[in-house]
Amino acid sequence: MNAGKTWDILFLEERPSIGLAFFRIFVALTTGLHVIPSFFHLDDNYLSTAFKTLNPIFFTDGALALAQNSPDWLVIAFVWFFCITWFCFLIGLFSQVSCILMTLCCYYFYALNSFHIGTLSWDILLVTLFLMCLTPYHGDYFSVDALRRGDPDAWQRKRPFFIQRLLQVQVASTFFYTGLYKISAHGNWLTGNPMYSLMHYPPIGVTKNFLLKEWLGMHPSLCYWLGIFIIFMELSLPFWLFNPKTRRSGIIAGFIFHILLILTLDVPAIFFFLFPAQLLLFIHPQAVRGLIEARRRHAYKFKVIYDGDCVFCKASVARLKVMDLWGHLACEPMREALSEIKLSDGQDTWGGFDAFRRMCRLLPMLYPMLLFVYLPGACAIGRWCYARIARNRRCLGNRCDRV
Amino acid sequence: MRNKLISIFVIVWLVVFTYESTRHFYLEPFFGARLPKVKFLFPPAGWIMFFNLDDSYGYTEVYGIKDGRAQAIDPHQILQTRAIGYDNINRNALVSVLSGDVEKPFCDFLRRKFPYFDSFTVTYVNYPSLTTRPFEREQGVAYECR
Repeated sequence: MNAGKTWDILFLEERPSIGLAFFRIFVALTTGLHVIPSFFHLDDNYLSTAFKTLNPIFFTDGALALAQNSPDWLVIAFVWFFCITWFCFLIGLFSQVSCILMTLCCYYFYALNSFHIGTLSWDILLVTLFLMCLTPYHGDYFSVDALRRGDPDAWQRKRPFFIQRLLQVQVASTFFYTGLYKISAHGNWLTGNPMYSLMHYPPIGVTKNFLLKEWLGMHPSLCYWLGIFIIFMELSLPFWLFNPKTRRSGIIAGFIFHILLILTLDVPAIFFFLFPAQLLLFIHPQAVRGLIEARRRHAYKFKVIYDGDCVFCKASVARLKVMDLWGHLACEPMREALSEIKLSDGQDTWGGFDAFRRMCRLLPMLYPMLLFVYLPGACAIGRWCYARIARNRRCLGNRCDRV
Repeated sequence: MRNKLISIFVIVWLVVFTYESTRHFYLEPFFGARLPKVKFLFPPAGWIMFFNLDDSYGYTEVYGIKDGRAQAIDPHQILQTRAIGYDNINRNALVSVLSGDVEKPFCDFLRRKFPYFDSFTVTYVNYPSLTTRPFEREQGVAYECR
């Protein structure tokens, strides 16, 4: 295989972007969970009363001065702006634009005060966000953008693979260099016994008070070899991940590594939400597509009956088809007057809000709604809202349907 | 055209990414010179999570003084911002206040946050060797906020 062909396969070949779209949700969650808590104490963190530390290595002096000159009202405006753009990015509304604007907000708050949010893992997250800003591919599915486009095949939309590949390189390099620095440069994992030291850290240290801490603290040689094993894992994991034969083991090992990290050390939110999701980017998009297709072939079918003369209903059903990743729905328009949508599995039939609620369990993009539709009282409110919309369905928007 | 642009970007990105991953600890010693850092992206010294941990450990303790009596202030009262899934105090976030550069702003912050106290003393706590002398604890005054 020549170099050009290899380059094409590595970066340029078009592959389904659904994995990247799924990853977008975790990037948004990580960013939100890292930044939003700092908004609950604006006076401590960002307003003129805050205690601030700056990061002149990361920023230019001009950028820092610009942020520091912000009046309090501008800080508050940025807080709202961040929350709006973050939510848009989370739900995939104008995915690329919202990603860029949210990232700019992240930079603003970082320049304003690095004391709370500025960590090494925050710098890692900014690298990820930078790559996410480059293309709108992450809005192809699991997004409002996908619903707006109305393409029922959005889940298998193909895009150049380079963003996903660079994100793979990022996480693999992070593992590799983390291991390399431990045994070279100023790292002391070969000459010292850092794991043993960690087990003796005081309560205000970075080590959590986990079950085996004291026991490990009594076994220095075990700690040392545990440290060597960690280095081996960090150095070898990239090779496991990039080799198709060992990829699955690499992903599982990466997950276990992060779970152990979270259980034993006080590490930032990025380790919970970003890295494990980033490991999933190693699953080949064609394999993801194959899994979805297999599930679609064997999906239990539900019949959806709707008012075929109603423009609003037709548009809503088109959106249901976009969301129907597992291929559960067989939609059928009816020409006779139908007061509400019907969902049937051959035995049971649900109508109106109850049909919507049942669909929340069938369509992955509606899974988050499960948090709300089964709350006490949600049924009564949902049925009332549904009845109002259904009654006016032919006159929603700017004009009424021609009957 | 699109593929050319993508290829150029990928090459530039990989070069910059590798440069920033190795600049501080490998390239600078190799060239014997301080090399420029790419601003606005990448950590200052590469991906160095937990790369060097010895058995000494230090942190900050802040005392509020009221009527001449010192009272330790819970660090979680000083840094009230709660992170999700971890404790920023346990990540030693407060250690940076020991630097003389931040003495004035941190004192102003303490006065605003704890008006009850007349003054404050910011101290460092140091364990010289947690594994061999776990009970040996050194404490000294970093600065006082009067």
